[in-house]
Amino acid sequence: MEDYKFLFKVVLVGNAGVGKTCLVRRFTQGMFPPGQGATIGVDFMIKTIEIDNEKVKLQIWDTAGQERFRSITQSYYRSAHALILIYDITSQPTFDCLNDWLREIDEYANNRVLRVLVGNKIDKEDREIPSHVGQDFAQRHDMRYLETSAKQADNVEKLFVQIASELMEQAKSKGISSDSPQSLPFNTRTSKSINDYCCNR
Amino acid sequence: MEKLTFYALSSPEKLDRIGEYLFQKASRDISRKRNEFVMIAMEAMDQLLVACHAQTLNLFVESYLRIVQKLLESSEPSLQILATQSFVRFSNIEEDTPSYHRRYDFFVSKFSSMCHNNNPNLVTMEMIRMAGIKGIQGVIRKTVSDDLVENIWEPVHMDKIVPSLLFNMHTMKSKTDIVVESGISEEVNDKTDSFSLAESCLRELIGRASFGHVKSVIRPVLKHLDAHHMWVPNVFATQCFRILMFSIQSQYSYAVVETLMTHLDENSNASPKIRTSIADVLSKIIAIAANESVGPTVLEIINSLLTNLRTSVTRRPPSNIGLSESDGENEYREALIHALGEFAAHLPDYQKIEIMMFIMSKVPQFKSSNNPNDLHVQRMCLKSLLMVSTKYSSVQMNATFPQSFLDLLLKTLTASEDEIRFIVLRILHTLLDRHNNASKLSKATVNISKSDINLEKCSRSDTIFIRKHAQDIYVSIYESLEMTNNTVDNIEAVYTTLALICIELLSEETVLDFIRLILSIQELAITNAVLSTQQKFQLHGLVISIILLVAIVTDLHPLKDYVEKVIEQRKLLNATHLLPELSVHNEVKSASLLPAGVLIEEPELTEALKASGIDITTETGPVLAHRRSWVENTNMSMKGSFTDLSNLDLDSVNSTPAMQRRFSPNEDLSFEAMKRSLLDNPAVRVEQNTRQTQLCDMFRNTSFQDLVAISTASKDEESLHSKITDVFNKVDVSNKLSAVETSQQPKPIYETLFPELFAF
Ligand SMILES: Nc1nc2c(ncn2[C@@H]2O[C@H](COP(=O)(O)OP(=O)(O)OP(=O)(O)O)[C@@H](O)[C@H]2O)c(=O)[nH]1
Ligand SMILES: [Mg+2]
Repeated sequence: MEDYKFLFKVVLVGNAGVGKTCLVRRFTQGMFPPGQGATIGVDFMIKTIEIDNEKVKLQIWDTAGQERFRSITQSYYRSAHALILIYDITSQPTFDCLNDWLREIDEYANNRVLRVLVGNKIDKEDREIPSHVGQDFAQRHDMRYLETSAKQADNVEKLFVQIASELMEQAKSKGISSDSPQSLPFNTRTSKSINDYCCNR
Repeated sequence: MEKLTFYALSSPEKLDRIGEYLFQKASRDISRKRNEFVMIAMEAMDQLLVACHAQTLNLFVESYLRIVQKLLESSEPSLQILATQSFVRFSNIEEDTPSYHRRYDFFVSKFSSMCHNNNPNLVTMEMIRMAGIKGIQGVIRKTVSDDLVENIWEPVHMDKIVPSLLFNMHTMKSKTDIVVESGISEEVNDKTDSFSLAESCLRELIGRASFGHVKSVIRPVLKHLDAHHMWVPNVFATQCFRILMFSIQSQYSYAVVETLMTHLDENSNASPKIRTSIADVLSKIIAIAANESVGPTVLEIINSLLTNLRTSVTRRPPSNIGLSESDGENEYREALIHALGEFAAHLPDYQKIEIMMFIMSKVPQFKSSNNPNDLHVQRMCLKSLLMVSTKYSSVQMNATFPQSFLDLLLKTLTASEDEIRFIVLRILHTLLDRHNNASKLSKATVNISKSDINLEKCSRSDTIFIRKHAQDIYVSIYESLEMTNNTVDNIEAVYTTLALICIELLSEETVLDFIRLILSIQELAITNAVLSTQQKFQLHGLVISIILLVAIVTDLHPLKDYVEKVIEQRKLLNATHLLPELSVHNEVKSASLLPAGVLIEEPELTEALKASGIDITTETGPVLAHRRSWVENTNMSMKGSFTDLSNLDLDSVNSTPAMQRRFSPNEDLSFEAMKRSLLDNPAVRVEQNTRQTQLCDMFRNTSFQDLVAISTASKDEESLHSKITDVFNKVDVSNKLSAVETSQQPKPIYETLFPELFAF
């Protein structure tokens, strides 16, 4: 028996230094890494959580924000079930780039991908982007919105759990349930849109 | 373990269950971090894989791959490496049952991620990266051979695999240092470093690519180079493309070139530096593709290069052209032309001719243009042509110069831009020079002996060639010498051209036409009113040098003696301005401009030729009777008829301009007058201009019939002829064309009706 019922792929994107890696570390390892270096290419983490007594496995792909890795990071968008777009609430430029990021997402990701906007580093004093501005932006672009602090573990768990629940809802509403035909991670070729959401048994 | 293997072998139907069990066990061990047990499970799986027969493996493999994935998902480096090692072993097992339901998405993603590992422990980092590369190699091996499995060539995979390999290839430097410093043992360096590993993986990948897949590999390479700003400098880019070109199945190599060229097109707005670098990479790999390119592909590549050249030329507002090309656009063009040359150099000769014709057909044709862009395009095309021509080695001239190609070349030889003409002359040099003489004949000289020249007897087909084309070639050369903007370089280049024609193509049969041309050039130097004094001196230097060369090359000793006598005379009278080197003499040291005996005189020349055994009698009339015959079909042909308009006293058929002064000392266009005009006396010029205009008008307004009537009624008239020549030279070339060409009669009629007109 596999030890999970659903498998979702989550990809984090956003400018360099907004705290993607820290968010992932906080979520998967429960810590805030001191002196976190810039990500090179793409990092991978896995975490299984329990929602409504069902095990959900999250494959988390943490991409590098640096421009030079853009071409490889984009190639990870496609198979994502959820994309977390992150900016730093203390840095206007990281917010200004959101439109560019959305354009990239439109171009490279699946159009049904769940998109969540995250304003990170709310523990900091020098906020530049008021909460409602982020909220508005998210609304306008049909995204979920959440503000987090990887440092103080604010909303981090919530962020991933929300995503997992929502994806689970989606998957279930599409008729996937625990007693759907047996499928393994390696034989989901037939119908990507449905089977990819879930890894049964 | 042996028991397990034996058990599995004896009851293969149990294998699936065994696999499932091992997976469950390993999963538990992983989550409990009991790594030793995980390793044992993995080991068991490995052995079973190797031991069991392929047919029975299928479901077992599913379990196996799930364990591998499980291990790869772990954040524990040692487990990731363990998984990879096992997977690599698995990838070398040939399965004979299709595994169409298997997917490698995760593996590609994860291995690519591992290739970028950034573990703070450098040793660990290196090991994980190496594992990533090996894993990718394993996936490639597992998938390329089997069409039913994952299509590894999909962009979604290639966009991960290719950058991961490249990333490891260009971070080699720093990493080798790390490895050395941290004293990593054989474990890491056992076979190789991550750089070579990544490189060999890339080689394997492109080597397995079929035609349709080439672009799938190249595209991400280009993206990566863009993203990492690796075009300037282009060391790594070049290295990459060389690797690709040498590893790809050779029949597809041009697809790489095409893709790179497309990339160049797409970057037409990038900085010239980037474009230059891309073009440079192109030039470094294009030769490899040339060997495999055929037919349309060749022309496509050439066309694409030419289009880029054109784009580059028209890119900037015309007003800027020539002012500051320091923005790198020029370097870019040079790089493109260089690429073109590299490409052409490696094509078979027959294709080079095709290419030259193709390029020539792309050269904008115009006599003069106000649009600097046109001119620029023309110049670029011709430079490209020159580049290709240097890579071509002529064997037979009729193969080198197909009619249409020759026609276009000759037409361009009379372009109004001196630089354009110069390039065309250089093209002619490279195409004519089969015996490596051009460099020795780059400047007109009278210090030359037969031993200086590499000679080979002119073949029959070459003789036929020059017979057939002498007229066209000589007329164009003559006309190009009439241009007032000729620099000394142009005239030297004409010398080289004539010298090469002489060496490569002349024989006793064909030498006469050539000598007529030389005499006409001398005449041009004497009678032309628009050329500068310096230009005329240069023409004299050209004439004496080339006629000496003719005598030497064709072994006409009496002619040689005569020419040497003239040279001696010029030296004796200190008429150094009539001798080479063309570029140095600029002052007249002799008593007069053209002292007695310094010109090549027709009677003496005729004698010398006769004595040399050249059969002049077969020709109608004296030697020079037809010295204009080769201009008949051109705008110059009417000169002959005007020659005879007046001055019945002058009956010397053999008179040359130099002898005129004896006959008509008072004529405006006597030698004295000419001398004055040579010295550019403004008063004379004005007076002349008026008369010229009148004559010109008359010429333009009189019908051909009338002209013929006038000319038949009159007798030879040298001075007027020279006058007319002057007039003609004043008139814009294009005017002449439009005014005269329409009333032209074909040459044979001319010759038969008015043979005497040509004897002046
Ligand atoms: N105060 C505060 N600092 C944070 C928080 N999250 C991240 N940081 C800091 O921001 C810096 C960048 O964090 P990373 O997680 O490496 O950023 P990233 O988005 O992964 O950057 P790239 O990998 O280069 O794309 C680090 O110095 C972190 O300590 C946060 O919630 N609060
Ligand atoms: Mg990061």
